[in-house]
Amino acid sequence: MLQEESDLSLVIAQIVQKLKGSSLYAQLERQAWASLQRPEIKLESLKEDIKEYFKISGWEKKLQNAVYSELSVFPSPSHPAAPPEHLKEPLVYMRKAQGSWEKRILKSLNSMCTELSIPLARKRPVGEQKELLNKWNEMGTDEPDLSLFRPVYAPKDFLEVLINLRNPNYENGDSLSFRTHLGLIQVPLKVKDIPELKEFFVELGLTTGQLGIDDSTQVPPELFENEHVRIGQKVLAEQDSAAAQQYIRQGSPTALRAELWALILNISSQPEDILYYEQLKTNVIQHDLLVDSLIYKDVKLTASNDDYYFVFEDYLYQVLLCFSRDTSVLGHFAYNSASPPKSYIRGKLGLEEYAVFYPPNASHLWKTLCWVQKITHGVIPFHGFSMYVAPLCFLYHEPSKLYQIFREMYVRFFFRLHSISSHPSGIVSLCLLFETLLQTYLPQLFYHLREIGAQPLRISFKWMVRAFSGYLATDQLLLLWDRILGYNSLEILAVLAAAVFAFRAVNLMEVTSLAAAEAVLADLSTLKVMPLLQIFLFATVT
Amino acid sequence: MAGKVKWVTDIEKSVLINNFEKRGWVQVTENEDWNFYWMSVQTIRNVFSVETGYRLSDDQIVNHFPNHYELTRKDLMVKNIKRYRKELEKEGSPLAEKDENGKYLYLDFVPVTYMLPADYNLFVEEFRKSPSSTWIMKPCGKAQGKGIFLINKLSQIKKWSRDSKTSSFVSQSTKEAYVISLYINNPLLIGGRKFDLRLYVLVSTYRPLRCYMYKLGFCRFCTVKYTPSTSELDNMFVHLTNVAIQKHGEDYNHIHGGKWTVNNLRLYLESTRGKEVTSKLFDEIHWIIVQSLKAVAVNASPSLTSSTANDRILKYNLINDTLNIAVPNGEIPDCKWNKSPPKEVLGNYEILYDEELAQGDGADRELRSRPGQSLGPKGGRSRDSGRTVLTTWK
Repeated sequence: MLQEESDLSLVIAQIVQKLKGSSLYAQLERQAWASLQRPEIKLESLKEDIKEYFKISGWEKKLQNAVYSELSVFPSPSHPAAPPEHLKEPLVYMRKAQGSWEKRILKSLNSMCTELSIPLARKRPVGEQKELLNKWNEMGTDEPDLSLFRPVYAPKDFLEVLINLRNPNYENGDSLSFRTHLGLIQVPLKVKDIPELKEFFVELGLTTGQLGIDDSTQVPPELFENEHVRIGQKVLAEQDSAAAQQYIRQGSPTALRAELWALILNISSQPEDILYYEQLKTNVIQHDLLVDSLIYKDVKLTASNDDYYFVFEDYLYQVLLCFSRDTSVLGHFAYNSASPPKSYIRGKLGLEEYAVFYPPNASHLWKTLCWVQKITHGVIPFHGFSMYVAPLCFLYHEPSKLYQIFREMYVRFFFRLHSISSHPSGIVSLCLLFETLLQTYLPQLFYHLREIGAQPLRISFKWMVRAFSGYLATDQLLLLWDRILGYNSLEILAVLAAAVFAFRAVNLMEVTSLAAAEAVLADLSTLKVMPLLQIFLFATVT
Repeated sequence: MAGKVKWVTDIEKSVLINNFEKRGWVQVTENEDWNFYWMSVQTIRNVFSVETGYRLSDDQIVNHFPNHYELTRKDLMVKNIKRYRKELEKEGSPLAEKDENGKYLYLDFVPVTYMLPADYNLFVEEFRKSPSSTWIMKPCGKAQGKGIFLINKLSQIKKWSRDSKTSSFVSQSTKEAYVISLYINNPLLIGGRKFDLRLYVLVSTYRPLRCYMYKLGFCRFCTVKYTPSTSELDNMFVHLTNVAIQKHGEDYNHIHGGKWTVNNLRLYLESTRGKEVTSKLFDEIHWIIVQSLKAVAVNASPSLTSSTANDRILKYNLINDTLNIAVPNGEIPDCKWNKSPPKEVLGNYEILYDEELAQGDGADRELRSRPGQSLGPKGGRSRDSGRTVLTTWK
């Protein structure tokens, strides 16, 4: 009892500490001072009166939402003496693997730099800055020569790394048994089985109304849809994050989705947020990064060719170019680096190339280098990265709001899809979950595919890494992402992947090669996500 | 043998021919006995011109009404709508109601338009009322965006004034006649781009009016960002959405051809603007279509050239569903058919308007409060029929 209490007070203390540095704290303080003018605030009962005022005016709700938001991303309880990197990732071998993966990416980036003799970072001359500012809204019309650039890595490269992950403390033994995992992932992480998933996703059950199933034209709206919309409007009126998150497990009505997501992610466009975005935009105007060309290339290759998202090409540049300069993002998943790489930088001193190590006295150069090192040490776009942003363009068309939503989605969810960790929503766990579900509940299919050299994960990996963006129809994708937010977990991606295989099992049993299996699963654009999930979890005899 | 439909066409397109062949219909020539003739526009004109006096027999169907050009030619369309509005006004129909400024409440869906050179003087009067406005010139008889340009100065169309002044017997060859309309320079933009709608409507009978809207219509986007700035008036890539024009722009992408399905549009608009406004928009679009059809008996001549693979599939399915409605059960046409087709054959079509059904319900079918507000039960969402009626009005 005592331990729990002290744990709780530790959590409270940490959250309070975190919130004290936020703009919400400043606003609450201001509000408290301003409220002294109000007639109902009496000196004798100052504390109670102000609290009451906060409740009525909705400020208490805002505080509640902020606390709830912090709790959602709060790391699990751990040993008080654990260093910070342990909090991010407790398993040593995982940390090591992520570290060496990062180094590899960076090395690849550096060698691209050298090969093409393009610097990692470069300050733009004034003329170029002006030009870029003028065409900020239509960067899509720019046609820089991108033929020499190639994506730093593609999902399948990353898959190879994951396949080779091993826990050095775990001895599998040579003998095969029915427990042997036949899939590609060979690390022992705990994943949920179907009974546990049914409990976790209880709101997706057969007797609960869902958007994506119970709002189809054959169903009279009085049965579910109308009431659900009414509740959604109430949730928005109350501005309650926790309620919104619970509500959205049954799907969001299209008209309410943009607001609901913003509420759950606790995004409200304050002037300082817009200012922050403008600051990033200024960075983009002033400096050109190698990473920018990679972003351009990715957008041109993926989103521009997509039936739904091509319209939003320009927004994608506006978001991603700023994102790659946003150092606050890196705080969320940076591991300790080994010695930083050397990089070439062309700067104020003209076109002279500098191989820079760490000149301790050139402070401006030092700062720039650290900044470059930080950002290139962070988010390097891989092939398909822009597809994380594209669906959001269907909901938000104001660039700074779009930016905030994307950034929050990234630091809460998407980053886990391309970094190595033991987190239950990390890509390693998702892969293992997918394979385990298939092997346990569709053993015949799994065995057959394995026999013909078509390990299922090789096909489903790219779906999960992109959170199905670009594979599903947009309305279906949004219904899926509703549930990611609702359950604060990416496990649904693995469940959906398994459900897709189950759905096409009959055809898959007949194929005799990997290519044929890929062909059966090439087109997911006609799939209805919620019925598939419901059948797989709740209506399949296991 | 007696049961097989005999078809003719003078348009060699696979989306048509494949559909005929898959039904086991028999190809014949136009001189033989035929049941179904998919005609090009030229043929229609020849076959139904006053001189030829060709009459269809009871077991023959063609793909255009003889006077389809009443809606496809821009000048005739405008004339018909203006005439229709005046007729309704004379009848005292509530549809023709106007507001305090003399604007039609329900029938104001065509921007101010004049015929040139005939209405040149009327146009000049209107132009001078708002001299900073932009106008769009469209040749009456052309399609695919050909010959369209924008003007904002009278001097740019001096040619039409000269003609009307010099001779009063200027033969108005269809090549030179233009319509000029007030240009709407604040269009709805998505991703900063202008777009238009390509909707497929099938009219199976005119009296009673029975028309169907294909659910899979689409939007065509400009490749270049929209700007109302006058310096870009000449840049057709900014202002015209026709694929034929956009195809030649540098940024035209052949994989998707700059199109969205109407469902995408609906999703985007509902997500960013809300459900009421979106439903109202679609209601009004359907209203305009039905009213335009009522103004004249028409059918349109869609492009059967496919620009992308998806496009080919769409058009194949479109023709398939069209044939299923027009020639139900693949039986030889009989002009005595007048039944509404059962819902199973509709495919991707939805009933846009069925005059018989509307009249049969007894309600005063012409009376409606405003587009978007439902008078009666909203759409037919009954469990049994699964029939969705597109509009909230009758």
